[in-house]
Amino acid sequence: MNTKQEGPHLERLTHRLAQCPGEFLAEPLIKSRGKVDTGAVVSDTLMDMGGNLLSSEESNTSFSSEKADQKNRLRLILIGAWLCHDEWLIQKKKYAEPAKKWLASGLDGLASLVAAELFVTDPDRREELARLLLAALDLLPTGETEAQASDRLQCLDSVTRDKVIRQTREKEKRARKLREKMAADAAREAAAKVNRE
Amino acid sequence: MVWRWKSALPEEIPTERMERNPLITREGIRTLNSILKNPHAPVWNYQVGDRLRAEDLPAVERFRKSLFNRSAPLGAGIPANIIELVAAMRPRSLVFMERIPEGASLERDWESIPTMSREDIVLRIDDIVPLDADLSRMIVYETSGTTGHALDVPHHPCAMAKNHPVLEYILAQYGVAPGFGPDVTACLNVGAEEHTVVFANVFSVWNDAGFAKVNIHPGSWRREGDIHQFFQSLAPLFLTGDPVAFAQMMKWEIAARPLAMISTAVELNPGLKARLEERYGCPVIDYYSTTETGPIACSLPGEDALGVICPDIYVEAIDDDGCTVAEGEVGEITVTGGRNPFVPLLRYRTGDFGRVVRDERGARILDLKARQAVSFISSSGSMVHPLDIGRTLRLSPFVQSQFIQRRDKSIDLTIRPAPGESMGEGVIEERLRFLFGVDQVIRVHMDENLGKGERGGKVIPFICELGQAL
Repeated sequence: MNTKQEGPHLERLTHRLAQCPGEFLAEPLIKSRGKVDTGAVVSDTLMDMGGNLLSSEESNTSFSSEKADQKNRLRLILIGAWLCHDEWLIQKKKYAEPAKKWLASGLDGLASLVAAELFVTDPDRREELARLLLAALDLLPTGETEAQASDRLQCLDSVTRDKVIRQTREKEKRARKLREKMAADAAREAAAKVNRE
Repeated sequence: MVWRWKSALPEEIPTERMERNPLITREGIRTLNSILKNPHAPVWNYQVGDRLRAEDLPAVERFRKSLFNRSAPLGAGIPANIIELVAAMRPRSLVFMERIPEGASLERDWESIPTMSREDIVLRIDDIVPLDADLSRMIVYETSGTTGHALDVPHHPCAMAKNHPVLEYILAQYGVAPGFGPDVTACLNVGAEEHTVVFANVFSVWNDAGFAKVNIHPGSWRREGDIHQFFQSLAPLFLTGDPVAFAQMMKWEIAARPLAMISTAVELNPGLKARLEERYGCPVIDYYSTTETGPIACSLPGEDALGVICPDIYVEAIDDDGCTVAEGEVGEITVTGGRNPFVPLLRYRTGDFGRVVRDERGARILDLKARQAVSFISSSGSMVHPLDIGRTLRLSPFVQSQFIQRRDKSIDLTIRPAPGESMGEGVIEERLRFLFGVDQVIRVHMDENLGKGERGGKVIPFICELGQAL
């Protein structure tokens, strides 16, 4: 028996992602470079979802950055905001809070692994993002059971896939072999250099 | 005049030497022995070869051609060969994989790629070395720790051999084209340290021309005067060394007529450069290179700037947040690419600062603030080289250290230990007393946050408040 409520059709959300307009894919503002104020976009989205405007502290902490390496995270937040602005979710007027939480921190892991635009151009990544949003809002795609939704999300889960790659036993064996090799006398004798660096 | 060893040729090349110099010829072994058995030779304390194999030679030659036939300037933007290199490395190295999201546009999102630092090499080398790398020929260099912090860098003999064409290219910029062959000594590498390796070698990529690393320290020679005779008999075509060693050469009045002197490891003071050029009658070239990156840039005739040498590295100046600073503004020198197959670099922060400009000739580095030369004084008044301190410290595993000699000559050493490693403060203190004297005041502190919050995450490793100058 499902304990979660039924949400919109999955295809509705993936189609919406595929239709993401250029404005949401534009460069986010970082250090006066870029075009889009991510905090302002998120704030407007949350208002339309029935929530409140972001406080300046919320906006500064979670939706803006001076660090160049945060660009993909901000871009993904913009795409996430576009997804949240789906008519079905807007009309319910009750998902602003979980949506804010998801946008603020739920996308961090994903942003470090996958370029934001792939969540618009790649069918699997579109489905992953749509399912992640529904899971964050405690909703199920129309017509799916909890088990089905969970299984499908696991199949698509980029973060888990990355963890598996990192934690393989092969990797541990390789690291040990590398350390042994680096410690070996033959390696440490090195080769003659013409100059010191 | 070149001194020659008159003894009979060996029938066979010793197996150990063949392992160290697989391509050595009979002429090469004769050259090597002539250096090793020179009656004025230093006390040799190390054996090492070039470890080069026949299959490496085409790659070295291709690299030589890419340097000398470079037609397209490095220009603005990220060169296509660098983009290709990074894209190809992404599936092979975990550090690249985690820094470049799947599907990212490298040209557009370059600045948003998180930077690498020496902390990655210290703590996560297994995530840097490509997953498919063949480790069988891996060699390891321990960095000196003169200007940074001692660390182990895996390398490959073939990649090291490519530094030879780099030197040829640099010399060619000054109109110097040495003729390398088994009858000549290509180069002497000069050091001036309490303890260092001293060895002779021949390089296959230079037709078995001779080479020796020597130490201008009384303890390194059998008799007074030997060093003068040794330099005279070997007559090296050019010299490499750090400014401390070159200054010591002048102080000891060592005569030599090299075609050029290449200064490495620490910053070359313009005054010292002028004095050396006057004394030795040859160009003195400032060479900016680190163990992690390999050669980066060198001074060019008639220019204040250092020219970026190799087309397979991309140099940027970036700010603390990883953004490329506007052209000509000061930023941290950051390197991508390189030819070390075990340590591919992705926006690697060198910890050095300067301005990067690009024009039709390629990239230039101006006002480089790096590799500050510094020396210390023992309680007896003798000079202590930071290399000797670095060597003492590297016996223990740590991430960073900062060594400060105060105005009252006392010493404060702060160490950030490697995670999970304990350091013996007492042992370190004791070892430092060997260098500085038993009555030296030495304070050793442990600080797990050393360098955190500092520009580039790196502290200045050696500071002398005594106001010493070379």
